[in-house]
Amino acid sequence: MIARKIMMLGEIGVGKSSIVQRLVFDRFDFNYKPTIGVDVYRYDLPPRPGREAMSLIVWDTDGNFGEAIFRHVYMREASAAFIVGDLSRRNTLDSMAKLGAGFREALPGRHITFLLNKVDLVEAALRMEVPEPLVPFAAPVVTTSAKTGENVQQSFIDSADAIIRRDQ
Amino acid sequence: MPSSDETNSPRPGPRPAPLLTAGMMLAERGIYGMIWVDETLTTVARYGRLVDFVEVGEPLTRELLPLVGLEDEIRALKDSDGRVIELPGIAIVDNKGESPKINISVFWSKDEESFLVVLTRYSSRSDLEVELSRQIRARLMAEAEVMQTSKELAKTNAELARANRDLEEFASIISHDLKAPMRHLRYIVDEIETATEGALSGSAISKLSELRDQSRRMSGMLTSLLEYSSVGRKEEIAEEIDTHGLIHAIIGSMRRTPGFEIEIAGFWPTISTVVAPLDLVLRNLVDNAIKHHDRADGHIRISCADKGDTLLISVEDDGPGIAKDQHAAAFLPFRRLKPGGAEGQGMGLAFVKRWVEAAGGRLDLESDPSLRRGTTMRLQWPKMT
Repeated sequence: MIARKIMMLGEIGVGKSSIVQRLVFDRFDFNYKPTIGVDVYRYDLPPRPGREAMSLIVWDTDGNFGEAIFRHVYMREASAAFIVGDLSRRNTLDSMAKLGAGFREALPGRHITFLLNKVDLVEAALRMEVPEPLVPFAAPVVTTSAKTGENVQQSFIDSADAIIRRDQ
Repeated sequence: MPSSDETNSPRPGPRPAPLLTAGMMLAERGIYGMIWVDETLTTVARYGRLVDFVEVGEPLTRELLPLVGLEDEIRALKDSDGRVIELPGIAIVDNKGESPKINISVFWSKDEESFLVVLTRYSSRSDLEVELSRQIRARLMAEAEVMQTSKELAKTNAELARANRDLEEFASIISHDLKAPMRHLRYIVDEIETATEGALSGSAISKLSELRDQSRRMSGMLTSLLEYSSVGRKEEIAEEIDTHGLIHAIIGSMRRTPGFEIEIAGFWPTISTVVAPLDLVLRNLVDNAIKHHDRADGHIRISCADKGDTLLISVEDDGPGIAKDQHAAAFLPFRRLKPGGAEGQGMGLAFVKRWVEAAGGRLDLESDPSLRRGTTMRLQWPKMT
């Protein structure tokens, strides 16, 4: 089975760990517990036409790293990144573009997905807004809810497919 | 991942006695475990806590997830004497829970002709510090959320207070209690005139007449205030409007002297908007430009440009202009910049600004008579969908 490394990046409290916990264990913990250092998870995808079985090794990083993460050993050989923001805290969306640019510079050509998380907390009208700084990346921008599971699993499947396309 | 505290029982596979001894010594010094790996990155031996999940004879990275992707880098260690790959502060999480935070070090052991993976306690902070850090950050996050909520609540409260203040001001001024005495005052004047017919001096008659006029004016002002306060309260429905037709209709209805020219320029599109307020705003702006002009042969240029989601409409006259220090006052209710000038109660621009703002637009005044004659009113009017 092939395995690929995926980074979860984003400011503190945007829901990176909650997204991974929803993906891997299909659960949501209402108690906030900040990640210190990095937590590593495995998410196995079954085979399907055009893609053999695949393990995503998800590195859930400490939001405190900020852009310093790109100088850290943790980033080595990552195949893709999920850059997460909190739709209910607009200032966290601004830093997404900086992290996106940092990732592109550190690992050119690797797939990026921007996740606008906590969509369950905002009004429907805000759901459709793509933050302007993210537009130039031409990367998928997906609204997610770790609480309800909305779009979480599909985002990772799409990212896995993108990694395979790049490898080919 | 591994959470067992028990030391592994011996398992099949090569485990040289000297390395076993070394492993035991390291374990006694707080090192969680060691894994011996051959050149194909297959586990050949393991020892200690937290490594019992690693199967001998299986690829190292099958279970030691943080090393996935680093296979080439590990192989290269063989040719880089003394080099170590170090991954600090990592926890491996599976459905059984989270491992302690560990440091993973990988290096090539020349003596043993194998790679060594050493799992040690995360040494940069004690567990207590890590837990303390978690708790502090959790509290900071909670406080930040409370602050954000309080800020939004305070903003809503301020808006509510302002709306209440507005309402109270108008409610207190505009009431029948105020309008009724005004009417009563005029009736008293009529009664005095009737009762004293022929007995009053010319001066007294003139004063009574003035009293009647002033009370009538006061009633007019009260009516205007009522109208002013009601702007924007009524929900207008957007309609399609040909702005070119609208401006021509407005100009056609304006009375002006024969030499007075009004020019329409620019592109006037058909848009969807609240038509009645737009009509009122344009009518008032053009009317003001005519009314306050000081020459019979004045010229007004009304132009329009489509700026996407707004129209930019300019009404430019070559009248006497408005001194810069009077610009702000020009938009206030009941301010007449030239006492005794054009007729009215000085509500025109105040009304216009209120209508514009209620529609979500903007109105700016440009004029400086010290440089040149004329005033330009720039209107940004929103389109609606």
